[in-house]
Amino acid sequence: MASVYVIAEHRKGELGDVTLENIALAKELGQKYGLAPKAIVLASSARAFAEELADYIPEVLTIEDPSLENFLYEDYAAFLRPAVDMFGPGSIVLCPHTAFGMELMPRLSAETSLPCITDVTELELDGTRLRAKRSIYNGKIVSSVSVDASKGALVTVRTGVYQAPDKLSARGTIEGLGVSAEPVRKKTEFIGYREAPAGEVDITQASFLLSIGRGIKDEENIPRAARLAEKMHAVLSCSRPVVDKKWLGKERQVGTSGRTVKPKVYLAMGISGAFQHIAGVKGAGVFIAVNRDPKAPIFRVADYGVVEDMFKLMDALEEKIGGER
Amino acid sequence: MDILVCIKKVPDTADAEVILRSDGKGIEEEDLAFGINEWDNYAVEEAIRLKEKEGGKVAVVTIGTGDDEDILRRCLAMGADDAYRIDSSPFYMDDPYSVAKGLSAFAKKHSFDLIMTGVMAGDMSYAMTGPLTAGMLGIPHTTLVTSIDVKDGNISVTRELEGGLEESVRLELPALLTIQTGINEPRYVSIMGIRKVRSKEIPVLRAEELGLSAEEIGEQGAVLKLESLERPPEGKEAEMISGSPDEIAEKILEIVKGVV
Repeated sequence: MASVYVIAEHRKGELGDVTLENIALAKELGQKYGLAPKAIVLASSARAFAEELADYIPEVLTIEDPSLENFLYEDYAAFLRPAVDMFGPGSIVLCPHTAFGMELMPRLSAETSLPCITDVTELELDGTRLRAKRSIYNGKIVSSVSVDASKGALVTVRTGVYQAPDKLSARGTIEGLGVSAEPVRKKTEFIGYREAPAGEVDITQASFLLSIGRGIKDEENIPRAARLAEKMHAVLSCSRPVVDKKWLGKERQVGTSGRTVKPKVYLAMGISGAFQHIAGVKGAGVFIAVNRDPKAPIFRVADYGVVEDMFKLMDALEEKIGGER
Repeated sequence: MDILVCIKKVPDTADAEVILRSDGKGIEEEDLAFGINEWDNYAVEEAIRLKEKEGGKVAVVTIGTGDDEDILRRCLAMGADDAYRIDSSPFYMDDPYSVAKGLSAFAKKHSFDLIMTGVMAGDMSYAMTGPLTAGMLGIPHTTLVTSIDVKDGNISVTRELEGGLEESVRLELPALLTIQTGINEPRYVSIMGIRKVRSKEIPVLRAEELGLSAEEIGEQGAVLKLESLERPPEGKEAEMISGSPDEIAEKILEIVKGVV
């Protein structure tokens, strides 16, 4: 029987929540198309991860080897190339669309005969054709793409789309997959992790964030935003483009590669709402978005929306506050 | 060190309205501004900086039409030494596998120490072309690169993980890196600069010169097929606040006061 496999993502001894999200999708696909949902843990010591996952999925398979302590695609692929041959035709392998999945899955696809679709939000099997929905053009369009999955297929799934499933009433089984690594002459080497420096503010602790994005346009507008934030008693944060341009420090970046925040109020100005940014604001009490484009994806997640030039609104806010004091 | 940078022209959709074409197979391109993919621009800058430090040459390549040569010329103005265009007409450009076949076939004909491209392109956002190309060439790769250090035939890079964490990885050369935005501050390109490289020849290569058949890289050989485009589902919609900026400001302050 064909199966749907979830490759567990873990780092520094911790299992990523994204693995549970993918288990939710695997179970959904399993039910719809009669595929057996299974998780695979590749690690130097897989037991603890496997125990954790067995609460959520009926079958957990482990591949243990000292080389799998820190993730390198070469080591993972050395085990996964022979493993996917054992999975049987029509099997689907899921990974999160993260630094882990993005590094591994397209490469594994090039090294096997299995096709890959990345960053998917929905999956559908139509005979042997695997069809996926993906968000493109900055979240403004959704595309449907497909691959021939008769031999199997590799998929990376957008994070934050699926919710972790409930625990099973009967725990799943745990078993070694019994696969050996193909011999490889290694060309990559893991050196170590580097934590971002703490910086001058901790936006994760702020109860009110005024967040600016690409719409701020120019470095000379930054002091204006900072002044407004101060007057509103808000902490200034931003989306990726502002940090890329070095206008604000990395410690102020909200999003998957920056910080995850949970303020009582999140006031986003000139931010279009890329999913990497939105994923960082999951816990906001009230989310207000200001953007010139009425079709900006941010309006699909905000509580309140304003279609207006952010600078006009900044002026109006400043004036109003000035008058109150 | 000889470096190849693979680039692509994309529409700027970050701050623009995107309108679906009536056939549902594409978008209306008329009112959109096109330019070099943002990630690729950082890759070109990084390549030129490496050249300035380590010596060697930088070549840029795109699979495109004559209309795409302006981004190649822009790279020449930035400091790239050579630019090549692979004629896109036989390629099924919606398939990253077709694109990677073209790029890897091109790279095989030269001997580059390092290949760079953007992490992803701002249009389709697959983030596949880099690792696929590396896989087809059998050279090591790493994605999401935020800094590069070259030493004794090896290259050490940092790559971006989640939550502000990075990791360091060492790779043997030749290697392929996909470059993350923010790695550097790309230099400004002046009209004068572009004028200076106006007469530089850009060789155009055809797929068959690269040993690729139309079957392999055309729609019938595509691994990944684009079927249709649609508008995102409506989903939850924000409650819209309308009025003059003054009225809106007042309403926002009211909401904030109620919560903070």
